[in-house]
Amino acid sequence: MKMFRLTTNLFKELSKNKMRSFLMMLGIIIGIATLVIILAITQGANKKIMARINIFGPNAIMVHSGGGKMRGPSSVSEANLTRKDLRDISSIEDVKIVAPFQVKLDMPIKYQSKFTTATVMGAMPNWANAWKRGASKGDFIQTEDVELLKKVCVIGETVKNEFFANSNPIGTDLLIGKVKFRIQGILQKRGASPAGTDFDNLIIIPFSTASRRLMNQPKYIAMMRVIVDDPSHLKIISKQISKVLRRNHHLAFQEEDDFKLTSSTQIVKMIKGVSNTLHIFLLLIAGLSLIVGGIVIMNIMLISVSERKKEIGLRKAVGARSKDILLQFVLESLAVTLSGGILGFIVGILGVKIMELVTSTPAAVSWEALVLSFGFSFIVGIIFGVQPARKAARLDPAEALK
Amino acid sequence: MDKIIQAKAITKIYSKNGSITVKALQNVSLDIEKGEFTAIMGASGSGKSTLMNIIGCLARPTSGEYFLDGGNVNNLSDDDLAKIRNHKLGFVFQQFHLLPRTDALENVELPLLYSDRSDITKLAQQALEIVGLKDRIHHNPAELSGGQQQRVAIARALVNNPEIILADEPTGNLDSRAGLEVISVFQRLHAEGKTVILVTHSQEIAEHTNKIIYIKDGKITGDESVQKPLNARDELENLTKETEVTE
Repeated sequence: MKMFRLTTNLFKELSKNKMRSFLMMLGIIIGIATLVIILAITQGANKKIMARINIFGPNAIMVHSGGGKMRGPSSVSEANLTRKDLRDISSIEDVKIVAPFQVKLDMPIKYQSKFTTATVMGAMPNWANAWKRGASKGDFIQTEDVELLKKVCVIGETVKNEFFANSNPIGTDLLIGKVKFRIQGILQKRGASPAGTDFDNLIIIPFSTASRRLMNQPKYIAMMRVIVDDPSHLKIISKQISKVLRRNHHLAFQEEDDFKLTSSTQIVKMIKGVSNTLHIFLLLIAGLSLIVGGIVIMNIMLISVSERKKEIGLRKAVGARSKDILLQFVLESLAVTLSGGILGFIVGILGVKIMELVTSTPAAVSWEALVLSFGFSFIVGIIFGVQPARKAARLDPAEALK
Repeated sequence: MDKIIQAKAITKIYSKNGSITVKALQNVSLDIEKGEFTAIMGASGSGKSTLMNIIGCLARPTSGEYFLDGGNVNNLSDDDLAKIRNHKLGFVFQQFHLLPRTDALENVELPLLYSDRSDITKLAQQALEIVGLKDRIHHNPAELSGGQQQRVAIARALVNNPEIILADEPTGNLDSRAGLEVISVFQRLHAEGKTVILVTHSQEIAEHTNKIIYIKDGKITGDESVQKPLNARDELENLTKETEVTE
């Protein structure tokens, strides 16, 4: 009851001097708003990373032909991975699947009088396991298809919708380049990547057919997808693969790799590398704002204690104990920082919304942000409120009333 | 009669800057009976305010003993003193010391915030009624005259139903009419059985009490009973008549 009465007076006290109260809150508002925005960006980035990793596969390593910087899939024209590479990688311990595939982007596809372009991949049956993606209808590429160089294909949803709308395309023929292929299955839907790549604008044909009949690359393999038994082995196995390939490709010590390995750890590194500097900078702003805000509050509270000497003396004269005065001033400081925290949280959410609209960066305001906002406001209120409150509580009533 | 206040050989020494010491009170002894209306009179610097601070448990004597309502106050903790101020004492100051931008009712409620009472608004309204400010309860101090402000302060002193009202120059900032109004409130409270102690430098004001204790240079120089105390209410009526005549 007593506590409640003291608390209800706080906001009256703050509203008596609105400008001062607002200035006291400003640092906290900026600090908390920045904090909320950072958290939202981090959460958004994490979501993005998780989405990318899930699409990529958390326990997958992609082996690209050709060195240089990381980019999209390697096309057959630059293929330089050998069958020996494939065998050697397969024999590395803890490697579960090695799925070689040929890739050609934007191949012309024709059905009756309709044209489109799609990515065409020549794959072994294990492609389905390596990507956890098989045929949703009909059959995927079978061992027999590869052995007999069959001209069959499995088409993605985008291709299917382009040509066949709602009718069943299985058993019909279409032209990839100038070669006729029979459709034997529909590929499971995958959707688009966060970057906008359509994973369903894809046609899978047997590996051998692609190498010999369509893409003219009988010797080399464009890409391999390696699946390991456990994501924690990614780093070691990547190193082993790199070693095997360098040896097989007779690369001298100072020569650069003529292949490229990517795995989820590298994707995470790449995305985080960009955002980390920004995060550190923003965190610094948030921290400094909170500290400066706290110091401002402490200063104004100290001035306020001097100004309100008579009030403090009077309160003591009518029966306030030192701890009542201490409590009153700590609560006043807390009222400032918590109000500032709430305002800061609202400003932060607005900031996040504006940022989403302007930059279309994914961001997410979470309940953790709310808890942290309250937590930091509380801590700042206590840390910077105690000193002025103690000064007030220590005042001698007879002196203060003079 | 019961002695509600008993001061025995009280000395209060202030030290300024560590080296210079000021003896505000020297060997002061005094008794005040329950229900008495007493004036402590002296010039400024005589130590009368120091004496009032000690009687009001706002300061501790350097030496000597002080009994309030039979209990020795010397050994009590600060928190206990705060409790005594809250329960047994009501203060009225020369500068009123009302909280600014806070209405009369809330000002009067203030002592109750530090008590265990729950009916604070009702008690505060009653106290304001006693001092004749029932229709001013939602006025801020800035909207009240000096006399009204001092009466709010008296209501604040009364709200806890204390044994003793301590008033330090309560008329010092008021014109004679407002001063008389305030004194008449004290006289009424005395008539109702409260112990009232009035600190003043004015003989005229002191004549309204039943007993005057003189203090000079930190020492009590004597006391006298007032045979026929002035009646503030009568004086107010005379004042009104005089104004009517001159007009």
